[in-house]
Amino acid sequence: MDVPTFFLFGVNIIRFLIDLMIAFALYLVVSLSLNLEAGFAGVPNFGKVMFVAAGAVVAGSVSGRLAAFILGVNTHGNYNGFIAQIITQLDSSLSGNAILSIEILLLGVLLAAAIGASLGFLTSYPAIRLREDYLGMLLLASAQLFQIFLGGYEPLIGGTQGIEVPNLFGWAGNGIEVRDAVVLGFLALFAGLVYFYAERVARSPLGRTLRAVRDNEVAARALGKDDVAIRRNVIIIASAISAMAGALLTFYVGAVNAESWTRITWTFWIWVMLIIGGAANNAGVALGAFSFTFLFKAVDQVKFYFQGSIPFDVNWLEYLMFASLLILIIAFRPGGILPEKSSMTLPWRTVAEIMRPKSKVRANLGPKMGTPEPAKSDLADEPSSTPTT
Amino acid sequence: MVSQYVLDAVVYASLFGLMAVGLTLTYLTTKVPNFAYGSFVTIGGYTSFSVFRINHVNPYFAVPLAFLLGAVVSVAMYLGVLRTLARRGSSLVALMISTLAIDIAFVGIFGIYSDYIGSFYRIENTKNFFRLLADFSLFGLPGLFYVTPISLATITIALFLFLTRTKFGIAMRASVENPSLARVLGIDVERAYVFAWFLAGGFAATAGSFSVLWLQGGTTFGSGLIVEIFAASVLGGLASVYGAALGGLIIGATEILLTQAGIAVFGSWISIYQKGFPLLIMVITLLLFPRGLVSINWQRITSPIAAFVDLIGDRLGEIFRFVRGK
Repeated sequence: MDVPTFFLFGVNIIRFLIDLMIAFALYLVVSLSLNLEAGFAGVPNFGKVMFVAAGAVVAGSVSGRLAAFILGVNTHGNYNGFIAQIITQLDSSLSGNAILSIEILLLGVLLAAAIGASLGFLTSYPAIRLREDYLGMLLLASAQLFQIFLGGYEPLIGGTQGIEVPNLFGWAGNGIEVRDAVVLGFLALFAGLVYFYAERVARSPLGRTLRAVRDNEVAARALGKDDVAIRRNVIIIASAISAMAGALLTFYVGAVNAESWTRITWTFWIWVMLIIGGAANNAGVALGAFSFTFLFKAVDQVKFYFQGSIPFDVNWLEYLMFASLLILIIAFRPGGILPEKSSMTLPWRTVAEIMRPKSKVRANLGPKMGTPEPAKSDLADEPSSTPTT
Repeated sequence: MVSQYVLDAVVYASLFGLMAVGLTLTYLTTKVPNFAYGSFVTIGGYTSFSVFRINHVNPYFAVPLAFLLGAVVSVAMYLGVLRTLARRGSSLVALMISTLAIDIAFVGIFGIYSDYIGSFYRIENTKNFFRLLADFSLFGLPGLFYVTPISLATITIALFLFLTRTKFGIAMRASVENPSLARVLGIDVERAYVFAWFLAGGFAATAGSFSVLWLQGGTTFGSGLIVEIFAASVLGGLASVYGAALGGLIIGATEILLTQAGIAVFGSWISIYQKGFPLLIMVITLLLFPRGLVSINWQRITSPIAAFVDLIGDRLGEIFRFVRGK
């Protein structure tokens, strides 16, 4: 069974859409997690790539070993050395075993979440103590170091060469695009859950607390909010979510290497989505992620027409284009396409109940709100000091 | 013969000193960490590369050109982006992102440039190139071993004289320390800031044009050095150019020497973690004395030691007198 094809202007639209939506789902998840940190909690994370990469690397290196252990594939004590041979055996076993495949997939994602959360916990230590500029430098530098480490440390994912990851979607059959469509289903489910969660957080008292901590830390603390714990928890959760996205990307691509985790792809692009769409607004971030992914993929489709006529790789223009776009947005529409909305407080029913005379809620709120005393205005009674002519 | 790692330590230390002085100058004026700073270094690197590979001229002659290019680009970035955005009321985080955006734009520009010279002049390896083998040799040692420390010393001393002995230099310090008061006194604060950015870009590009004689170069080699550059500036306190020079020296030297020591003790696998040492120093600095080396009250550390030495001296004197008296 194949996924049907539909050509328009020489482009297979179905293929294009599947590609687009997979990239969108992954970018959406990571940008929503950045939105939780940077948009709502005010912790600018300039090392996002580190958390996504950590999840990808852990999932990529552990899932294959685990599968080999469960299926009894001989690794000769050197998993990375015999990777091609091992993966071939694993793929043939796993393609007939959907349950085990999905179990390993879930386990890999959960493990990635755990690693992401621990990394987030580590990060939170400086993050709640340092000012934004120092934190930015520290995280950017840490992410750079992490990438260098991945490239140099071969036992994990074979350094810059990378390793293959067993195909956990082999059971979907080998029809054209079928595997991608199945992956898209998983990713859409995951992205949907993350969006639902982010939106719940944004509309909950927790979301308002986050904004309060972001906007005025001292005031929030004076109202009894534990700003340190709140920030720490947000960083841990956001890091875990990004790591899960990284793991899913690895399972989709079927390989993981150190080269693909650059500051540009998983820190800068994510910030671009956040800023274009609108920080602290989940719908805005989703719009930003979609516009970015769409532009990116659309440029991918058309750039080959220009390739012959200019003496350089067209990809470089993308960097210039998105960098300028970002600066223009910051200059002319600092809130993004959909700026942050004022936060929802009580449901309107509750408000109506409070406003109703003789309401129980109103009585419980105490005398101050229940029966407003006439304001004592000394100034109003005083004669106006301006001379009347 | 001097060991390779001593040469490495001296050259690294001086180069990072130069770069950290520049970064600190930009931070002092705008109070925004400049993530695009590594690209200024790359500008210098490509200037050397082009002059050497296209014109077959020794890269040392490219240094003034590199300085000028880096300085002009830096001023353009300050006037065109950072000042414009700051005047529109952008937040600190927005300004940081905009410097990151400029860094990415530079990656694109370097990519285009390297593709272009690659196809136009038929040069190979324009995106990632081995260090340029064009250094001269003096008393059996590479020229950079002399040139980089002398450049750092010259620049630091020149900055010191400029900032303390000239009217414009003093005005610049005033603009950094208290811009409003400086404005009241009729100082053109903007001119001082532009000049600071001019120098910063120049220093970065100068260091970059030297460093491709020593290190591998490429489109992102400057951005890759920001771990060390930030670490050096943070260690120096981000508030003092002399602190930055000192921080660069310490970071460069410790990175090489600790890695060497680690290799000697644990084996060659430790070299992957080479850049971990500067990061570790940066973390320790941020957590223990976030205002950097210059903020440490050295008297508080040295005075107990001095007191201890005095005490030992007194005791020894007593013992001495006791022995003699007996």
